[in-house]
Amino acid sequence: MIELQDIAMSYSLEQSQLRVLDGACLSVARGDTVAIVGPSGSGKTTMLVLLAGLEQPQSGEILIDGIALGGLDADALADLRRDSLGIIFQSFHLVQSLTALGNVALPLQIAGKENVHERALEMLDMVGLSERHNHYPAQLSGGEQQRVAIARALVHKPGLVLADEPTGNLDLATGAKIIELLFDLNADIGSTLVLVTHDDQVARRCQRIVHLLQGKLVEDRDHALSA
Amino acid sequence: MRFLLDLAWRDLRASGRSLWIFCACLVLGVTLVSASAGLYRLINLSLLADTRVLMGGDVEVDSRQPLPDEALAWLSAHGDVSLVTEVDTMLGSASGRFSRVELQTVDDRYPLYGELLLEPARPITELIDFDDGHWGVAIDPVLAERLSLGIGDEVFIGALQMKIRALVLQQPDRNLNANWRGTPVLLSAEALRAADLLRPGSLVDYEYHVRSDVPAETWRERFYDAFPQQTWEVKTFTDRSERIAERLGQIASGLLIIAFSTLFIGGLGVFNSIQAYLQGKLKTIATLRALGLRNRRLALVYLAQIAILGGGAGLLGVFCGSLLALGGGKLVATQVPVSASLGDLVGPGLIAMCFGLLTAYTFALPALGRALATDPASLFRGQQHQAARLPRRWKLATFACAAAIIVLVLQVLPDTPFAIGFVLVIGLLLLVLDLIVRGIRHAARRLDEHPRFNGRFTLKLALANLHRPGSALRSSLLSLGSALTLLVACTLIVTALLRSLQETIPEEAPGLVLYDIFSDQVDAVVSAIEELPSVSRIDIAPLVHARIAALNGRDLGKVEALDIRQQRDSSQDRYKLSYSVDNIDGVTLVDGAWWSEPVAGPGKLAMEDREANKLGLQVGDQLTFAIEGRSLDVEIAAIYSQKGIQTRFWFEGILSKGALDPFIHRHVGAVYIDDADAITAQNLLGEIAPSVISVRTESLLQTARQILGKAGAGLAVVSAVSLLASLLVLISVMAAGRSRQIYDATILHSLGVRLALIRQSLQLEYLLLALVASVFAVLLGSAIALPLLQWRLKLPSADLVWLGALVAIGVSSLALGLGASYLMRRLRLRPAILLRSPS
Repeated sequence: MIELQDIAMSYSLEQSQLRVLDGACLSVARGDTVAIVGPSGSGKTTMLVLLAGLEQPQSGEILIDGIALGGLDADALADLRRDSLGIIFQSFHLVQSLTALGNVALPLQIAGKENVHERALEMLDMVGLSERHNHYPAQLSGGEQQRVAIARALVHKPGLVLADEPTGNLDLATGAKIIELLFDLNADIGSTLVLVTHDDQVARRCQRIVHLLQGKLVEDRDHALSA
Repeated sequence: MRFLLDLAWRDLRASGRSLWIFCACLVLGVTLVSASAGLYRLINLSLLADTRVLMGGDVEVDSRQPLPDEALAWLSAHGDVSLVTEVDTMLGSASGRFSRVELQTVDDRYPLYGELLLEPARPITELIDFDDGHWGVAIDPVLAERLSLGIGDEVFIGALQMKIRALVLQQPDRNLNANWRGTPVLLSAEALRAADLLRPGSLVDYEYHVRSDVPAETWRERFYDAFPQQTWEVKTFTDRSERIAERLGQIASGLLIIAFSTLFIGGLGVFNSIQAYLQGKLKTIATLRALGLRNRRLALVYLAQIAILGGGAGLLGVFCGSLLALGGGKLVATQVPVSASLGDLVGPGLIAMCFGLLTAYTFALPALGRALATDPASLFRGQQHQAARLPRRWKLATFACAAAIIVLVLQVLPDTPFAIGFVLVIGLLLLVLDLIVRGIRHAARRLDEHPRFNGRFTLKLALANLHRPGSALRSSLLSLGSALTLLVACTLIVTALLRSLQETIPEEAPGLVLYDIFSDQVDAVVSAIEELPSVSRIDIAPLVHARIAALNGRDLGKVEALDIRQQRDSSQDRYKLSYSVDNIDGVTLVDGAWWSEPVAGPGKLAMEDREANKLGLQVGDQLTFAIEGRSLDVEIAAIYSQKGIQTRFWFEGILSKGALDPFIHRHVGAVYIDDADAITAQNLLGEIAPSVISVRTESLLQTARQILGKAGAGLAVVSAVSLLASLLVLISVMAAGRSRQIYDATILHSLGVRLALIRQSLQLEYLLLALVASVFAVLLGSAIALPLLQWRLKLPSADLVWLGALVAIGVSSLALGLGASYLMRRLRLRPAILLRSPS
C-alpha cells in the first residue's frame, strides 16, 4: 500500500521558488498498476523521485506499507530501495563496467542474497537475453539495454516498481515489446507498478491513470473499472 | 565485502586506463622519497655503525705541539695510544706536476679500530720504512690517478725524494673531505722529520688517538681535570657521530624536501586525475545509490580503488626508489665505506609507501566526497551529473590525512627546523596562491564585464575561463608555478655562481696563491717568482695563529656574557691574524675605520664581523691574544666582512703593522701572473722551497667549475623531475577540463562561432595562464634565491632577475603550448552529437 498525503515540493531558483507539487494526494493498493501522466513540468518525475525516497517533500507524508519515508535516515532509505523497490529509468542507467549479467545481479549482491548468478541468469532468460549475458551495455542496443534494466528492477521481486518513461528512448515497435514484457513480468511477480509516461497507449495498459497538472492531481481514473 | 571489492576491481579494470596520470604522479613522488630515504639510511647506517672506526679511537686529543711527557704518560696509563701527525704540503711527481696533500705519519698501532687495506697487502710500517735509499709512502689511488703515479714511482715531499710503495685501498678514518682538502699520504714520523717540514711556525696537527674502556665522556672529564690549564682539544667518537649525523641529516633533508615537493606537486595530479575519473562515474554512483547501496558501502568501493591504485603505484615507486638507492649507495661507496643491503631499505620503502598512500587519499578524498554526494534524483531528470559540495565528514577525513602527512614529514626529515620550514613554506605557498588566484579571478571578472571589451569575443571567453567556477587557474598555477619557482631559484643561483667564477675571479684573482712560506724563504720565493715575465704584482702577508685570552681585561673564562661552551670554544679557536697588505683578501669595513700607520701604543685590530658578533664585540673593545705563550693586547678599531666565496685566506683579524712582528714565522702570498708562468713558478718553488704550498687559481677554478658543473647537472635533474611532475599535473588538469572545453566549444560551434575563434580563445586562455604562472614563479623564485645569494654567498644578483623571468616564460610557454596543441588536436567538434544526446 502506497500513500502520498498532501505532498508539496518546490525548488529554489535564483530569485524565486518553483512549486512542482502542490498538495498532491494519492493512494495505491498493493499490486495496482498506475500511470502518472501530464505535461512536462507538471511534477510527474518529482513524484517518482519522492516515492523512491531520493528526496524528501517540504510538507506532507509518504507511506509505503505503512512506513513513513520522512522518518527514515539515509541508510534506512537505501535499505528500503534495496529490498522493496525496483527502478527503471528512461536512459537505462546501466553500470557500463559490468556485463548484462553483472548489472542484473547488482540488487541481489547489494542485498547479500544467495545464488545470485543463477537468479540473475534466470531473469535475463525471462527478458530473452540469456545468450547475451556476457555483453557489456555498450555492446547492446537501446531495447536490449532497457530489457536488462527491467530485469535488474525485478530480479529481487520488489513490492514496488517505479518506471520513468521506460519507452522514451526507444522506437515504437521496441517500446511496445518492452511494455509488454514489463507488464507480463510485473504481473508474474505481483508488484505494484507506478509508471510515468507521455504515451497514451502505455498509460492505458495500467489499471489507473493519474493526471497531474501544475503540481496538482487533477484526475484519477480507474481505467480497469471504466473499461 | 567480497562483492564490493569485486565491484571495485571490475569498475577499475573497465576504466582504469584513464587513471594513468594518478599512477604516474604517485610513482614519481614515491620513487624520489624512497630513493632519498633509502640512500640516507644506507649511508647513515654505514657511517654511524661505529664512529670509533671513522675517528680512529674512542677519544682524540688534538694539539699543535707534541704533548709533554706527563700528558703522554697519562694517556698511556688510560688507554692504548696511537699518534697521527698531519701536515699539509705539496707533493711533486717526477714529471713536474704538483698536488696539495695531507701527510699523515702513522705508527705500528695504527689503526686502533678498523682495518687499513693496502696494495700490496703488507704491514704499513714495513712499507713506509727507509729502504733502498728512500723512505716509502702509501698514497691515495685518487692522487695516483690525478698525477699518473704508480707503485715504485718517485715523488718529492719537502726536501726529500720518496718512493711510492703502496696504494691505500681503504683507510678507516679517511676524512670525508679528503678529495677536496688534500688527499692523504701515509709516511713514517722519521720520514716527515727528514723532509724538513717541521719547523717553528709549521702548521702541524698532533692527533693522539686513544682506545679506552672508560666511557668517552668520563675519559674527557678526567683528562680536563688532570690538565685544567691546558687548551688541548679532546674529541670523542660521540661528538663525531653527532657531527656526521647533523651533516648527513642536512643533506638528506635537502633531498627529501625535493622528493616531498615532487610528491606534493604530483598530489595535484592525483586530485585532477581522480576528479576527471569520478566525473565519468557520477552516473554509476547515482545508479548504485538508487539501487539501494548504502553510502558507506559505496564509499568503500571507491576507497578500495584508491587503495589498489595507490598501493600499486606506491609499490612500483618503492621498487624504483630502492634500485636508485642501491645504485647511489654503490656510487657513494667509492668515497666512503657504504655497504648496500636490500634489508636496510625495507624501512624507507615502508615510509615512502605510507607517504604515497596518504598523498593519494589526501588529494583524492575531496573529489571522492563530492562525487559520492551526487544526488541520485538527477538520474530521473536527465541532468548533467554535477559533483556536490564536500560533506563535512569527508573534509575532516581529508584534514586528518593531511595532518598525518605533516606529522610524518616532521618525523622523517632528520633536520627538524628544515622540516618545520618546509611545512610552513608549503602552507605559505598555498595561502599566497589562494590570494593570487582570488586576485586574478577578481581582475578577470572585472575585465570581462568592462564595456571596453564588449565585442572582443575571444578575449572575453578566455577571461571567463579564468574566473568561472572550476577553472584550471588554481591547479595550473600551483603545479606549473611550483615547478617554475624551483627552476627560477636554481637558475639564479647557478648563474650567479658561474658568473662569479667566470667573470669576477679571473679579472681580480691572482694566478698563484701561496701558503706556508717560512720567514727565511720569503726573499728567495719573491726573487725567484719576480723573474717570471708575466708577474705584475706579488703580495706577501704574514700569518699568525692566536687564541683569545681575555676580553676588555677579563679572562675569557670569566666573561659572564658567554656560557661555558662559548668560553671553551672561543678559548680553543685559533684565529688567523695578519697585516693589511694591499687589502690582500679584499675585505670591506662595516664599522669603524682603518687607522693611520704607524700606530702608537697598543696595536689596532680590524676583526671579521662573524667572529666579533659571536663574542658580542664592538669597535673600541680591548682584546688580549695568546700567541706562543705570550700576550698581545689590541684595541678593535674596525669590523669588516669577507667577500664570501672569493675569499682566499679568510683572516679573522687584521692588525696594525708591527704588532705581530715578534710572532711571525709564516706568510701567505698572492702572485698576479698568467697560468703558464704559474706552472713554471710551481716548479721553481718545488726546487727552492718545497714546503711552500702553492695553488694555481686556474686549477682551483677548473675544480670549482667541475663541482659547479655537477651541481648544475644535479639542479637540472631536480628541475627536470619537478617539471615532469608539473607537466603530468598539467595534463591531468587538461584531461579534467577537456570534456567541458570540448562540450562548451561544441555548443558555441553549433551556435555559429567559427572554429578559428574558438581556437584563438583557447590559445589566449593558455597564454594568460603561462603569463600568470611565470610572474608567480619569478616573484617567488627570486624571493628565495636573491636573499640567499645576497647574504649567504655575498653575490648580489638582482640584475639576473630578467634571466629568471626569461626561463620562466620560456618553459611555461613551452609546457602550456604543448598542452594547448594537444587539446587542439583533440578538438574535433561534432555538434550533431548534441542533437542526438539524450541528456
